[in-house]
Amino acid sequence: MALRVSVGQYFSADSPIHRLDPRVKLALTLAYMLSCFFVANPAMLALAGAAALALVRLSRVPAGLLLRSVRPIFFFLVLTSVFNLFFVCTGNPLVQLGPVSVTYDGAWAAVLYSLRFLFLLVVGALLMCTTTPIALTDAAESLMAPFARWGLPVHDVALIMSIALRFVPTLSREAENVVAAQTARGADLENKGAIAYARACVPLVVPLFASALRHAENLGRAMDARCYTDGAHRTRYHVMRFEPARDGVAVAVAAGYLVLLVACAVLL
Amino acid sequence: MPRNGAEAAPAAQPGVPAACLENVQVTYPDGTEALRGVSLTIARGSYTCVVGGNGSGKSTLAQLLNALIVPTRGRVRTFGIDTADESRQMEIRSRAAMVFQHPDDQMVTSVVADDVAFGPENLALPQPEIAARVDESLAAVALSDLALADPSDLSGGQKQRVAIAGALAMHPDLLILDEPAAMLDVRGRRGIRRVCRELNERGITVVHVTHFMDDVLDADRVVVLSRGQVVLDGAPEEVFAHEDTVRSLNLDLPASLTLADKLEARGLRVPHRAREAELARAVADAVETRQGGSAQAASSLPHDAVPAADAADKKNPATGAALSPDGIGPGASAEPAAIAFEHVSFSYAALAPKRRRGLFLRKRNRLRRAAEAAARGPWALEDASFSVAPGSLTALIGHTGAGKSTVIELACALKAPTHGHVRVAGIDTDNLAQRRELRRAIGYVAQLPERQLFAETVYDDVAFGPRNLGLADEEVRTRVREALELVGLDADAICGRSPFALSGGQQRGVALAGVLALKPRILVLDEPMAGLDPAGRARTVALLRRLNEQGTAMLVVTHSMDDAAALADQLVVLDHGRVALQGTPAEVFAQESELRRMGLGIPSALRIAHKLSSAGVPLPGAQPLTLDALADAVVSAANGPARGARPPVAAAASAGPADPALHRPDAAKGGEHLGAAR
Repeated sequence: MALRVSVGQYFSADSPIHRLDPRVKLALTLAYMLSCFFVANPAMLALAGAAALALVRLSRVPAGLLLRSVRPIFFFLVLTSVFNLFFVCTGNPLVQLGPVSVTYDGAWAAVLYSLRFLFLLVVGALLMCTTTPIALTDAAESLMAPFARWGLPVHDVALIMSIALRFVPTLSREAENVVAAQTARGADLENKGAIAYARACVPLVVPLFASALRHAENLGRAMDARCYTDGAHRTRYHVMRFEPARDGVAVAVAAGYLVLLVACAVLL
Repeated sequence: MPRNGAEAAPAAQPGVPAACLENVQVTYPDGTEALRGVSLTIARGSYTCVVGGNGSGKSTLAQLLNALIVPTRGRVRTFGIDTADESRQMEIRSRAAMVFQHPDDQMVTSVVADDVAFGPENLALPQPEIAARVDESLAAVALSDLALADPSDLSGGQKQRVAIAGALAMHPDLLILDEPAAMLDVRGRRGIRRVCRELNERGITVVHVTHFMDDVLDADRVVVLSRGQVVLDGAPEEVFAHEDTVRSLNLDLPASLTLADKLEARGLRVPHRAREAELARAVADAVETRQGGSAQAASSLPHDAVPAADAADKKNPATGAALSPDGIGPGASAEPAAIAFEHVSFSYAALAPKRRRGLFLRKRNRLRRAAEAAARGPWALEDASFSVAPGSLTALIGHTGAGKSTVIELACALKAPTHGHVRVAGIDTDNLAQRRELRRAIGYVAQLPERQLFAETVYDDVAFGPRNLGLADEEVRTRVREALELVGLDADAICGRSPFALSGGQQRGVALAGVLALKPRILVLDEPMAGLDPAGRARTVALLRRLNEQGTAMLVVTHSMDDAAALADQLVVLDHGRVALQGTPAEVFAQESELRRMGLGIPSALRIAHKLSSAGVPLPGAQPLTLDALADAVVSAANGPARGARPPVAAAASAGPADPALHRPDAAKGGEHLGAAR
């Protein structure tokens, strides 16, 4: 049980953001993330930033947790900023250090691109932090439902996702057990070249593969016994309800935000 | 437990039996004849246990009932509906719900309540109905508190109760359980039995496939299968009246019947009663009668039937040393303890990379963490000290989450302790320089070791360890052969075969051989008897004894108190990550109330001894740990105080060759008995 793989970032708390209909939350998050790409002037940037900050405060998710999930991309952000800073050569020079010059435009591009990307990531992470993986799967399934008409196996894909999430901890624990057992038999997984390493992995991979197949077979039988036929003719335990007092307000606020954003773009 | 759970559907027509099999034959595509002409009617509201050894066809029978398998020949009707009628299979399955053996393989989502809802969702019920059913089903298995937990964080017993709740949510008339407790510890099994009884009292027909004979005592009817045919069918008492048949079929008998046999062998004839309380009364009567005519009785006692006194069999003088808490005992030999734990603490949280487990993660996911904390506490192991003396056998006891796996991981140097020291054959597991030497000294047989098989041939699999030791081919060959012979497999016949094509018992043997081929001086085994039938268990017990006699020190995790009492020199009892008790089996089992508080049992011999005492059989000072010891104590009590000279505790320690488990007929022989029985 040492290797706990937690899927998703869910942070359990009670907040207006947590309570939103996951479909609304998913759709609005996508809208916000998309809108970030159109942010072009300081007023828009300030507005987007204010919105992101408000959402984070409202969700009661610790800011540190959100920033942590952004960290893998942090290096990329810094890198693009540096590129923008030094390679945008238009505009008035701001600083001149020998051959390197930083222009006003370069500095602005560095700030703009990195900040709007940061906002986008933070709000995306916020979605993951305030919605369980299951609810997200349900929401995606529900939003994609119209595509089922054209033969897209939306329901089945959603169930597969749910089962995959369910089996991640089981399989990781089994992997750990196999590693332990083979290590105790003297399997050496270090200090080897690529081919030798691949060969050393056989004693680990084969039992895991066998185990995955066994799980699949048993699970299939259990699902049969529980009357699963296909995804389309099922009802749902979690009914997602659009509540005007809650979700309607959220949509209205989001619409207001978009209008303001457009206004900033047009007027400034 | 709330009683508002699933009720029998009103649609039940009274005349139609729950299920009816007519001369059913099932042949699998590979030619295996799973069932060969079974006719059976299961009445509504009944509680039927189906028992049989491995390969008897009992699992096939279970799956026939809800149309997961259709008969090759013959007919199965569930609630009067022919299971071969494909258009009505869903109807059958919605009324005949099923629970399978592997708790992990029946769950589709990572939230308990959502999983229970899966069946009703498939039935396309309206949402409020689904919600109501989820709540009542979880209440019926006493898991309402864990509705939002992740199944991966639950114990095996809890998972299996979730699976039962999932079945109940279908509002079934018939509940089929296919070996639901095979992977569970005693506590988990008890929970399942209680739930089954309660559901049956509510009017649900229960078919319980099992290989535990004590489960059978709950049923109104027992069907015994062997090689695809029904060999015995009747009330539990009737079935147990055919004791020899049951035994020849490689099935366990309840301890009470085994005791009755042993008493008979010692000249005390008692009526055979499967229920322990009844047996206790019968024995009390017999003892009283005997004491009346004590003189004749004493002379009629067949002396050769009493096993040789086994005080000398308590082989290891070093056992005393094992009791010293800090490892190396005062024993005469300078040899270090095989395994020594010195104030060892261990936490999985401390192991995780620091940079990922910051301040915030501790707060995160409180529900899940609360469940985990309840299961094992912040310390997986806390200040544990004990040692395994060279050549001795220590049994490690405790239920799920008590820290047994952690002890094993630490002992095998798979993890390093957070505090304290673990020494294996005198080598500190922290000492990386001597890691190779340490690995040579200790062998580890994981739980269900057959799941680690990987090679194309049995030979290669067993040879994996020795080759990793860098041994010459010739030496590897000898070791593979020796190891396979040690586990009772024919090396010539089996070496070239694929391990995946073998039977479950053979796979277990090959996996064991793979570790024994390393010739470890110290062996750590995690539940080596789990999932084996009585013959397999007896073989494994004999193997452990032999290895132990040859001087291999062993640390064995077990949840069978009978195995612990029969095999071990020393017991270490874990509870919530602490060493709660340790000492000889006699010392530990004397702390009965303490064991009960931890939810652990006592050996069946001791349990029956208590029932005998309260029924009025005088067993002064006796604390029998094996049925042989108990039988001796009863016989000496019957023969009057004058003859009761055998010191009971010394007798208790006897785990000698007289154990009948070693002399049970094997499966092939069982077949002949079977023929004779019919």
